[in-house]
Amino acid sequence: MTGVVAPAEGWELLEGAVKGAAKKYSQDRCAARRLADGRAVVLAVADGHGSAPHFRSDLGARWAVDAFLACAGEFARAAVDHDDPDRPDDDSHWWETLADLRAEARRLPRLVTHRWLQRATLHDANAPAHGRPWRGTEGPDLTAYGTTLVGAVLTRRLLVCWQLGDGDVVVLDAAGTPYTPLYTGPDLGDETDSLCAPEAWHRARCHWQPLTSEGPSGLLLSTDGLSKSFTDHQGFLDFAAGVHGRAHELGMPAVQNRLPEWLAHAAQFSGDDTTLVGAFEATGPAGPRCDEPPRT
Amino acid sequence: MSDTFDLPGGSMASRPVHFIWLLDCSGSMGVNGKIAELNFAIREAVPEMQSAARSNPGATLLVRAVSFASGASWHIDEPTPVDQFTWEDLHTYGGTDMGAAFRLAAGALQTPPMPQRALPPVLALVSDGQPTDDWRAGLRAVDDTPWGRRAVRVALAIGDDADKSMLKEFLANPELEPLQAKNPRQLAAAIRWMSTAVKAASTPKADGAGPVQAPPPVALDKGEGEDPIW
Repeated sequence: MTGVVAPAEGWELLEGAVKGAAKKYSQDRCAARRLADGRAVVLAVADGHGSAPHFRSDLGARWAVDAFLACAGEFARAAVDHDDPDRPDDDSHWWETLADLRAEARRLPRLVTHRWLQRATLHDANAPAHGRPWRGTEGPDLTAYGTTLVGAVLTRRLLVCWQLGDGDVVVLDAAGTPYTPLYTGPDLGDETDSLCAPEAWHRARCHWQPLTSEGPSGLLLSTDGLSKSFTDHQGFLDFAAGVHGRAHELGMPAVQNRLPEWLAHAAQFSGDDTTLVGAFEATGPAGPRCDEPPRT
Repeated sequence: MSDTFDLPGGSMASRPVHFIWLLDCSGSMGVNGKIAELNFAIREAVPEMQSAARSNPGATLLVRAVSFASGASWHIDEPTPVDQFTWEDLHTYGGTDMGAAFRLAAGALQTPPMPQRALPPVLALVSDGQPTDDWRAGLRAVDDTPWGRRAVRVALAIGDDADKSMLKEFLANPELEPLQAKNPRQLAAAIRWMSTAVKAASTPKADGAGPVQAPPPVALDKGEGEDPIW
């Protein structure tokens, strides 16, 4: 027996974003998708740096999410292809392929970065950020497009999260208790790693968690505008647990309706764009299970 | 719109930005009314500072000041919310012990007393002369603190006798130059601009992109019609 417990009705998705107070427009982008007939979920948030040297970071954030969806989508499909729910007693194939999936998970930051670099380089060639076409041997300066990226893939047997730069991943275990697998302690100021840094994939962190017993009951990804509005880390974890609790208590549509208001309240304190995506075990009728077209 | 009482999670608050004036009160600042003009300029810039703080709702601006001459001391030692900030006049009293001022600031930039949850502090240095103590050791003390390394730094040279190469070293960014004021109107414009550096402190940046840059310097041509007197 595998011991794996799949969400009875699949996953319900949550998505919300608000502009930072006093900002003209948001530089955050996000996506939440069900893939492979609802057997996998892909989540991503990207936070364009937004300051004057990063004046195209809204584009950078959009392309970061696009690149992640493309690469993580392939990864998610491979993960569910090797997991046959019709043969729950024969999981030897799954364990044989897990090493390959882990290698793919390690490669993914590099693939995403290369896709992002190609897109940003093309844009910069057509519309040079610094007014004249790039010439040289070291590649163009893509500082203008700088962005962070946080993404995750969740299937019934596997949870993988990646993070480059600031932002947060909160996993809620089967009992609804939150934990932050990629948290490295409080940031000092607003410095962050960025996709625009040289060989940025080396700065990516990865959380790899094969699910051998009860899997998580929820997963939340957010830009740093959310966690930085709380006076301490525990307050942020309590928020994640509270969202999860309200989703169970009131249903996901009610939480989805209130989410913009909650995020707007947080943005008053962080001053930053604030974006959150999530997936929770469905408690009501299953949501759509077919592939959705990419959108950001 | 419904209330937010059902907002889950802990308490929320904006993050503090600590703004520290480092001000030269050496005897030469008493020549040709420089200290009086500096006092006037800082007092006049307070509304500008308050306005900059209001336009950055994610930051709570707290202001204090160090004066240095023969030694250094806190002129305003409590981090004061900018809305309650008022200016008490400085007076001249001796040499230019800038290193002592840096060491005093470095003590305040340790964590604690500085909280980890904050935006980068602002260090605003104003001088009209050559340091008379070991300013490099003082600057190293600032650079040895996590917040000192991340501080937004702005510097103003008053008159031709100020040590501009030293001020440039303080800025820690080869692309930045200290501002220069040679008459009261230039001084007032420069102090107004320095007072708004909170905007730079509340701006995110990619790691490794160098020290946080202050906003582009204002043109100080408002004083061009006046002769340099310093």
